[in-house]
Amino acid sequence: MKKISFLVLLFLFQGSIYGQKVKFTEFNLPNGLHVVLHQDNTAPVVAVSVMYHVGSKNDSPGRTGFAHFFEHLLFEGTQNIGRGDYMKIVGKNGGQLNANTTQDRTFYYEVFPSNQLKLGLWMESERMMHPVINEIGVKTQNEVVKEEKRMRMDNQPYGNLINVVFNDLFTKHPYHNSVIGSMADLDASTLGEFKAYFAKFYVPNNAVLVVAGDIKPEETRKWIEDYFSDIPKGTPVVQGKFDETPITTQIIDTAYDANIQIPAILSAYRVPGRTSKESTALQLVAAVLSQGSSSRMYKKMVDEKKNAVAVQSFNYALEDYGAYLAFAIPNGNVPLNDLLKDMDEEIVKVQTDLISEDEFTKLRNQAENSYVTANDRMLGVAENLANGYTFYGNTNYINTELEQIKSVTREDIRNAAKKYLNPNQRVVLYYLPKK
Amino acid sequence: MKKILSIALLLFCFQLSNSQTKIDRTKQPQAGPAPVISIKDPVIFKMSNGITVLVVENHKLPKVNAILTIDMGPTFEGDKIGEGTIMGQMLNEGTKTMDKETFDNKVEIMGADLSLYSTGGSVSALTRYFKPAFVLFADAIRNPAFPEASFEKLKSQTLVGLKSQEKSASAIAGRLVNALNYGKNTPLGEFETEQSINSITLADIKDTYKNYITPSRSYLTFTGDITPEEAKKIATETLGSWTGKALTLPVMPPGDKLAKTEIDIIDVPSAVQAQLFVTNLIENPMTNPDFFGILLANQILGGGSDGKLFQNLREKHGFTYGSYSNIGSGRFGTMVSSSAQVRNEKADSAVAEIIAELNNMRSGNFTQADLDLAKAKFNGSFAINMENPAIAATYASNILINNLPKDFYRTYLQKINAVTLGDIKNVAQKYISTGGARIIIVGNAEQIMPNLKRLNLPVKSFDAFGNPVTMDAAAPVKVDPNVTAEKVIANYIQAIGGKEVLDKINSSSANISVEMMGQKLGGTMKKMAPYSNAMEMSMNGMTVYKMAFDGTQGYQGQMGQKAAMTSDEIKDQKDEKGIFPQLFYSGTEFKLMMDGTAKVNGEDAYKIKVTKPSGKISTEYYSIKSGLLLKQVSTVTAQGKEMEQSAEFSDYQKVDGIMTPMSIKQTAGGQEIPMTLSDVKYNAGVTAEDFK
Repeated sequence: MKKISFLVLLFLFQGSIYGQKVKFTEFNLPNGLHVVLHQDNTAPVVAVSVMYHVGSKNDSPGRTGFAHFFEHLLFEGTQNIGRGDYMKIVGKNGGQLNANTTQDRTFYYEVFPSNQLKLGLWMESERMMHPVINEIGVKTQNEVVKEEKRMRMDNQPYGNLINVVFNDLFTKHPYHNSVIGSMADLDASTLGEFKAYFAKFYVPNNAVLVVAGDIKPEETRKWIEDYFSDIPKGTPVVQGKFDETPITTQIIDTAYDANIQIPAILSAYRVPGRTSKESTALQLVAAVLSQGSSSRMYKKMVDEKKNAVAVQSFNYALEDYGAYLAFAIPNGNVPLNDLLKDMDEEIVKVQTDLISEDEFTKLRNQAENSYVTANDRMLGVAENLANGYTFYGNTNYINTELEQIKSVTREDIRNAAKKYLNPNQRVVLYYLPKK
Repeated sequence: MKKILSIALLLFCFQLSNSQTKIDRTKQPQAGPAPVISIKDPVIFKMSNGITVLVVENHKLPKVNAILTIDMGPTFEGDKIGEGTIMGQMLNEGTKTMDKETFDNKVEIMGADLSLYSTGGSVSALTRYFKPAFVLFADAIRNPAFPEASFEKLKSQTLVGLKSQEKSASAIAGRLVNALNYGKNTPLGEFETEQSINSITLADIKDTYKNYITPSRSYLTFTGDITPEEAKKIATETLGSWTGKALTLPVMPPGDKLAKTEIDIIDVPSAVQAQLFVTNLIENPMTNPDFFGILLANQILGGGSDGKLFQNLREKHGFTYGSYSNIGSGRFGTMVSSSAQVRNEKADSAVAEIIAELNNMRSGNFTQADLDLAKAKFNGSFAINMENPAIAATYASNILINNLPKDFYRTYLQKINAVTLGDIKNVAQKYISTGGARIIIVGNAEQIMPNLKRLNLPVKSFDAFGNPVTMDAAAPVKVDPNVTAEKVIANYIQAIGGKEVLDKINSSSANISVEMMGQKLGGTMKKMAPYSNAMEMSMNGMTVYKMAFDGTQGYQGQMGQKAAMTSDEIKDQKDEKGIFPQLFYSGTEFKLMMDGTAKVNGEDAYKIKVTKPSGKISTEYYSIKSGLLLKQVSTVTAQGKEMEQSAEFSDYQKVDGIMTPMSIKQTAGGQEIPMTLSDVKYNAGVTAEDFK
């Protein structure tokens, strides 16, 4: 009976792929693994991805960097895939692979010619079922992670800026810590602790498997059952709840970076998490201020006053909270406070007057354009489907996202700016060259 | 009972079917049959003005993309090299009827993306906005305004860009690999310089536009949510009446192939890594029957982390973070190039290993497994590339431009998979030269040269602009053994005015001006014996930087932030014993060491290592000819990392009988800060208050 309803579903969903709706089927395996299939036979390509609902916010105090460390460790090998062979197998079969970690989740993927779908499923199931976590792997990846930190943060101009901001903006929430974590914490960690972290978070009931591309859904479902059903269910993962006390006085901080010649100024505001409508409104505030050469801050500071070489505002939306950032790099030796003043003036304008109808149209068009582009490759579709399931509890979020953006009014934009973007609610960071 | 039975039966069946499908997860699954890759032919038509239009209809997403490519081939710009690039940028600076701001607003209100460059441009927009976006695009390409102010802005940005790259080994290598192989006065070898940019006028830009931005030899590709009929209508309405010069594809003189392998070295003293290229010129049009063999040979040699070069130079020897090869193709002359960035002192060993790998390719020293892996990469990426709807258009225009058979891409993998080990060996022998290779090394010659001799190859030196350096960098001037470090310092003191004059100087002051990122900064620099030192910089009348040391304490301030000097920084300050530190070098607190000779901007100099009272070492270069200080290099430690700081002194002029450098170029962390001095005063205009 179940099978029949599945076929009916297939019939309903398979039809035409014309238009904007991203069609998919979804189901749970008995072990709690959520599976989403998206069929698109236009190119012989398939993306196999697993999103685990674990990120740096799940790291324990004194043991930061674990989630990111696993992003490396889980390429080391499994009971059936020899050490160092994981990447080689993908290469030898014409595929591409990678993974990334945020504060909230970890995302692993392979993109293959579609005749290698089974291989991709086997590899992801091996990783979920029984990766080899041993001293040698931990030691090797510990070195690699240190190199990564050197390359991406310590040796990178402005590489530690975001870490400083989150450190200041959050005091109780683990967003306080950087995703890459502390190297001292990693050095001090035991093999037992890594194994326990795996057993707690990398369980099928804390993951979503999304397969997108040139597939036959029925056959794919069978293969998924073959490879993933034997993985035991884990204890339900309960995400921690951390409430921050509102910031009521401006926090000023200074940080130094040896890799830069030109300083930067940044202001950061703690804002609501990504599922809130206000988060979407703040995303639009950021766009009106700095997206494109006709945006307000860009036009004023880079084109007209020429006092900044770069200016950017951005709503860094996360699951529990977000950080609204406004950032500028001076042209020549323009004082940083001048830039702060210019940026603040623009925020006040958004708080006081409604944005113009033209700007409002522009925002909606820009949002639609980037939404369409985000879904033009199978990997992008897979990640967007996984995001919907993981954060919104609704895989179909991918198809309602644009509506959500379009439901935001000019008043919503003004009100969100008024409510959250005030000087007494923020961190101001002077990011200066280290001599 | 019946019910129980049926459940049991069901369970049994379930188990049965379960055991039937039980997979063996110890075995890697086999691939399914290779997917059929169907490449849709675009609709192609030619407009009467010469534009070839290609349309790839794909309604998956409500978006359309258009790209205009003018197939002008490599152009020769000669003295005015850079005019093409700037002309392309000028197409984004407004049209005859719209200034830049109006134009940008119109584009962005639709959420569209649009950009133009020297060989065409691209525009993409949501379907409902595509037509108006394309109308703007056509206006920009047909009716550029060429405002003078924009021209000056772009020219100065280009100059700042060149300046910031002046000492970059990779930028120098980037232009000289072509310049030395093809010749610097050829379309493929020429490169931009400060002089060439400065000589460009707005009239040149307008001429370049007239000569090259034309419908002749143009390809206009539409991809996405559009029908061929709609595309034809839009193209005809906006570009149908566009006319311009007829282009002919230039014929390229082939570069000079070398008869015998040589090393060309370019000295960049500040480089911590050497950039190596082992190159030889070839012809490899896409119609070449060896084309597919060459693709695979390159993949085996240096296509990625599985390549022989990477495995040898990084995995086996740890010389480098990566080493790769590239074998070009196309209608014009091209080259085989194997490259790596390595520590200066390993340059010779790395070159030897690269040549060994090239010889391995020539003698067939690779396996079927190597070839299979290379083929797997092409098979995989060819399929994955099909995800990009524009690929069909790229393939179609490649077929037209390169005169390829119509089924070139349809049979692409078939041809890849037919290549044999013997074919690879043949193409390696035919195209990869180790007897007539040009080996280009850009790095610190002083550190590279001593070991290079063991390669037994002729070595030629070139400057950063590809001019031969007559004196062999390997053999700098002979040091007169009678010249000691002390003598060099004494000569210097004599050269700038003599001890008697200098001893009388208790203070100095100067106005300085600095140009950074196109901004002019002014300031003052003051000193008072023994240690007091102050510097202040301002812009538009506002102080942006201040440093002062009064002999016992000091601070640095920037952007309203003020930081007291640390004890280490105070020590550094106290290393300077007076207005002319060299007067004190004969004291016991200083140690001097003669470290041979070196060139500073082509001038021979004595190299002296000075150990200061703080223990810090600075290297100073004194001209052999004039005795004057040319350069000073010191190492500072910041965040556990050593960073080199250097200052070059030039334009010496006499002030109150003292030879004073009016130009000081400081370099730190890869950035150059040129300072010009004026209004230099000795024993005047300085009070103790200046150092508070």
